[in-house]
Amino acid sequence: MIDFTPVLPAMMLGGVALLVPAVRMLTKSDKATGIASLAGIVASMLLVFYWFYNGSHMAVFENMLRIDAFSALFMLIFLFVALYVVIASLRFVDGLKHTGEYYALVMLATAGMMVVAMSMDLITLFVGIEITSLSSYSLVAFRKKDKLGAEAATKYFIIGGLSSALSLFGISLIYGATGQVNFQAVASAVAALHGMDPVLILAIVMIVAGFGFKVAIVPFQMWAPDVYEGAPTTITAMLASGSKKMGFIALFKVFIIGLVAIKADWSMMIGIVAIATMTLGNVIAISQTSIKRMLAYSSIAQAGYILIVLPIAVVGDPTVAQYGLAGGIFHMMTHAFMKGGAFIIVAGLATAALGEHINDYKGLYRRAPLMAFAMTIMLFSLAGIPPLAGFASKFVLFSGAIYASNLAGEQWLLWLAVAAIINSAISLYYYARVVKYMYLDEGPKDKLKIAPAFGVAVAVCVVAVILIGVFPDPFIQACQEAAKAFFLP
Amino acid sequence: MLEGIPILTLLILLPLIGAIVTLLSGKDPKVAKSLALVFSGITLIVSLVLLLSFNLSAGGIFGQNYQFTEQYQWAKSLGISWIVGVDGISAPMVFLTALLCFLAILFSWDVKDRTKQYMGLMLVLEVGVMGVFMSLDYFMFYVFWEIVLIPMFFLIGIWGGPRREYAAIKFFIYTHIASLVMLLAIFAMYFQANLGTFDMRAIQAAGSLFPNGFQMGIFLALFFGFGVKMPIVPFHTWLPDAHVEAPTAGSVLLAGLLLKMGAYGIIRIAMPTLPQGASGWQWLLLCIAILSILYGAFASLAQKDLKKMVAFSSISHMGMVLLGLATLGTIGIAAGSFQMFSHGLITAVLFMVCGVVQHKAGTREMTKLGGLAAKAPWLATFMMIGFMASLGLPGLVGFAAEFTIFFATWQTWNYLLLIPIISVAITAAYYIWAMQRTIFGPLTDKIDVSHLRDVNWFEAAPLAALCAAIILFGLYPSLIFDFMRPAASGLAGLLGVI
Repeated sequence: MIDFTPVLPAMMLGGVALLVPAVRMLTKSDKATGIASLAGIVASMLLVFYWFYNGSHMAVFENMLRIDAFSALFMLIFLFVALYVVIASLRFVDGLKHTGEYYALVMLATAGMMVVAMSMDLITLFVGIEITSLSSYSLVAFRKKDKLGAEAATKYFIIGGLSSALSLFGISLIYGATGQVNFQAVASAVAALHGMDPVLILAIVMIVAGFGFKVAIVPFQMWAPDVYEGAPTTITAMLASGSKKMGFIALFKVFIIGLVAIKADWSMMIGIVAIATMTLGNVIAISQTSIKRMLAYSSIAQAGYILIVLPIAVVGDPTVAQYGLAGGIFHMMTHAFMKGGAFIIVAGLATAALGEHINDYKGLYRRAPLMAFAMTIMLFSLAGIPPLAGFASKFVLFSGAIYASNLAGEQWLLWLAVAAIINSAISLYYYARVVKYMYLDEGPKDKLKIAPAFGVAVAVCVVAVILIGVFPDPFIQACQEAAKAFFLP
Repeated sequence: MLEGIPILTLLILLPLIGAIVTLLSGKDPKVAKSLALVFSGITLIVSLVLLLSFNLSAGGIFGQNYQFTEQYQWAKSLGISWIVGVDGISAPMVFLTALLCFLAILFSWDVKDRTKQYMGLMLVLEVGVMGVFMSLDYFMFYVFWEIVLIPMFFLIGIWGGPRREYAAIKFFIYTHIASLVMLLAIFAMYFQANLGTFDMRAIQAAGSLFPNGFQMGIFLALFFGFGVKMPIVPFHTWLPDAHVEAPTAGSVLLAGLLLKMGAYGIIRIAMPTLPQGASGWQWLLLCIAILSILYGAFASLAQKDLKKMVAFSSISHMGMVLLGLATLGTIGIAAGSFQMFSHGLITAVLFMVCGVVQHKAGTREMTKLGGLAAKAPWLATFMMIGFMASLGLPGLVGFAAEFTIFFATWQTWNYLLLIPIISVAITAAYYIWAMQRTIFGPLTDKIDVSHLRDVNWFEAAPLAALCAAIILFGLYPSLIFDFMRPAASGLAGLLGVI
């Protein structure tokens, strides 16, 4: 008899997702549909909480999926993202057609992410990614009459298909070279190969390209700003805070566990890609005039920061590696709230008929004081100003690089920290500029009416950002637990 | 008498609560103003109690023996704690912070635009500066160090002059970059000490064993981080912009407190933790100090805008602080710390006077002013006291500080003193010339002076209080020196110089 309890949260979410369109059909009420989805998400969240605090880990389906501190933490992050996306959507999609399908797709995408978080081998990993990708393609295309949205969706679909093909090719090469799909088994097989198999080099290139598209690292980032701009803004929030994290989990599992034996071949390359990603994202963000594009480029930059974890987490000393990985997890957690929160604010202001050009934000503090304040918190947190969450996580993340650079032969990691810190300083310019527009410049005086649903969704993010910033300890401990569980065989 | 009362945490919490209450108060600007004044007033009283109950005779190693210490666990997983404590260097700075914030709030009584936010931000600024002067944990220190930037960014950006937005962003980014360099250095020391704690005292105890090359490198990084804030030439360019555009009370706190944070960081962190770095870079400290002193003085001489002149004079006077510290000896360090305190008082008067001139006459261009003494005798009096104190007139607080710094310089480098001492003549020149062009001589006809009035009560009260303090501490410098000397001698002992 198979014990299904570990996969229950994901299964339940998927089940509710399939029921939600029926709820819409029967009640004919968008609100009821949204609330049914919320109930599903919260129930799933409670189940994961239970696992997280039990602290045990358990594998099912011949060790293809495993729930442990790592996957539970990420499931919680994904469910929180889904939670505030759905809350914000209560108003955002109100009165549109097919809301039942909208909520169902959001929840299916989240279920896919949860599968990725639990995956223990290449097959389940790929399946999870595809569930999420297919759902998000349709979500991006949700406003099908909107030209920009249709263009974004087409682009996203083509690029997404290409990236799936590339990563599947990479996965099949790994399987071909090692005969294994389980990450741990792949790791020992690769270690036993002694020396470099050219097939593996090709596999690394394919996987970096395939997953690189998903997380939008240089040079695979060009789709992200267009898609983020064209998608419905609540979905943009989900792409930036959910899907992107999923891509990182995939990279972590394949590289840090599967390919650790040949780290000499990729760690320097990933380090360079990380620096290129953060620099390009920040520099291009400076010249953006659309707030959504600016946030999209800032997302690219943040991906660069998180990417420095890969070379850190494979250094020889397990304590250091764990510290570095915990920093990466922590930054992914805070980023989910601050970037998602920023997009939700943009969505809320857009429904109040405010444009998405930076100039439209002039004098916002008079028109929507709470939203302006929340946006300021999010932007300062993204810039890493204490005492906000973004500072706490950058603190752990960047210090990990310096910690690792103390080890013999890993001195070059110091440059990752230096590059990240210089980039943080650059990024302050474009974040502070938006704050300047909102508070220092005068604009129209009329008040904007923000729907309460957005208020709640934004409040979730603001509270999280301040709470994590002021009392980081429990969150850091959770991330360290997760990092520990990640390395367990 | 203060057993069991967390007085230092209280000094941080009071303005914080004040800020929240002020920001949440209703639409009436009067209420906001009064709330801010009351909270900063209580903070001032508490800080005075702190100063009076400070035990002057408690000795001990510098950087290990603090008074009123409190310690609470904050983030155990990283070794971060809430540790506050004061010693002879920081206790007077805490008092200065409370004093200047209170007076600056009083001085801003006529702020009309967005009064509530203005007052709230002033109190947030006080929280940040207080925290910097009493943190004994690197994480905490950095958090407060950065918190200071945010209210100042808004104060300059919203209530500032015509080019306020440029100045605000430049200030924010310039000092943020410096902070990040400092953060890198903090990480490096944390992992080098490898104690799993960000406690300054523990890292300092381990610091003397850091390898020489490490000390040299990290000292340079810290010196850059703190120096930009001081500011040192050539990293001073944010200062004139920020000062000229900032509202008067903002300038008062910027020059009176924020610049001191840089010098304080060198005393509290860079020198005791990395003693070999300090002695290795002594020549650099000296060169930069002299450069700042002379550059600041000459630049002041060239200014036409009264406020810009005062801003450049700050660079010169903060260079004086650095000169004192560069001697690495007891007298030099004590005098440098005293100069921090004295410059805080004096510069507050100078910026307030500039603010009054701008307010009453509508311009700060010295070429357009003249003969204001006839119309505004009190303004002229305060201006004279401030300028005289700043140029080092004996009997006023500036003289006590600068004379001692020159004395220490002579002890350490003998005839080298001749170079920085040139600045005394230049300083006297620009101040006296400025007075001639603004308050003395025939009444100006370039601006409409028919409505020119003397200072209001809310401007006169802080100015009078500060002038009284300038005279008091000028006549009895030992009131403050007694705090600083034991700590300074402890630091000099760590550096191997007596």
